[in-house]
Amino acid sequence: MRDAKVLIVDDEVEFATALSERLQLRNYAAKAVFCAEDAFAITKAEQPDLMLLDLKMPGMHGREIVKTVKQFSPGIQVIILTGVSEDQILEEGIEGEVFDCIMKPVDISVLTQKIDEALKKRN
Amino acid sequence: MTMNYEEDEILRISHLKFIGKALSVFTHELNNHLAVLKESAGLLEDTLRFQQAGTGYDLDGSLNIIQSIENQIFKATRLCKNFNGFGHRMDNPLSAFSVNEALEELLALLIRPASQKKVGFEKDFQKDIPLAYNDPSRLQFLIFCLIEESLKSIENGSIILKTEYSEGLITIRISREGDFTETEKKDICSHNIAGRVAEQLGGSIYEETEGEGVNIMLPLSVTGEASNPELY
Repeated sequence: MRDAKVLIVDDEVEFATALSERLQLRNYAAKAVFCAEDAFAITKAEQPDLMLLDLKMPGMHGREIVKTVKQFSPGIQVIILTGVSEDQILEEGIEGEVFDCIMKPVDISVLTQKIDEALKKRN
Repeated sequence: MTMNYEEDEILRISHLKFIGKALSVFTHELNNHLAVLKESAGLLEDTLRFQQAGTGYDLDGSLNIIQSIENQIFKATRLCKNFNGFGHRMDNPLSAFSVNEALEELLALLIRPASQKKVGFEKDFQKDIPLAYNDPSRLQFLIFCLIEESLKSIENGSIILKTEYSEGLITIRISREGDFTETEKKDICSHNIAGRVAEQLGGSIYEETEGEGVNIMLPLSVTGEASNPELY
């Protein structure tokens, strides 16, 4: 599971950057981007194994981001990492499209466990 | 203007919606700050643990993380201070207040919902405006309604707020620039209801043009007396 390509998509730059470094220290090939457009470009070019996605991104609903990313990379696993309530995740209508939803703040051991489970499913 | 029971109820519900929305934005923002703090603290812990395991001591890296934590605490404190001020606006129905400060407090709560539509705020506030004697919370509610309505019909743009003082009147002008989308149905915060709130404040709303770039002006009395004291 380690060395898996993990793409973090979150407009909170400090959060995404710190999380990316922490995952790198745990031997994931993690990369952070801060807007949906960059997420699409990286997905196309690098075909990440898994995406950690903030549901509330400027200019685009999480649902649209998931749909577009899956067009570029159908096998990609998606974990929603967000501060909004589970009700809002249901409102987005993407619960069937994603591996899991985790509420921020998150414990790194819980997150890496979920990442590994999602990667197992991908493989 | 006399309001009937139904209109009064609509206003009451929309005011509650406003407070609920403000609370949800505040808690979301605070949660984001906590998430950043947790990751930064975690990164610092990771760095120290990995260094202990023999990868050398990176003093600058550790200091950068600590600085990032301090910055985040500063941002979270500013958010709390702003929201505290917002809450205290409701302490008294009438008070002397700075219109610019009341608008700043409100905008701080609207930045994130607006950014999700790639809409930013531009402020053009006259600096020497005298204190208004009115209901600041009701004014924030009114401006919230108007901005929320504007956000329904634009994306990738700006909402411009301008304040001016002239001849005993404060004017707040709201205009919009950007990609206009078809306006959704009017809800309880439609201009019609906003007009009634403006009347409660002793002012009125004027739409300078129709369609694109609607401008709204709200005159406020600064006479030292409640603009419409019978309402209180």
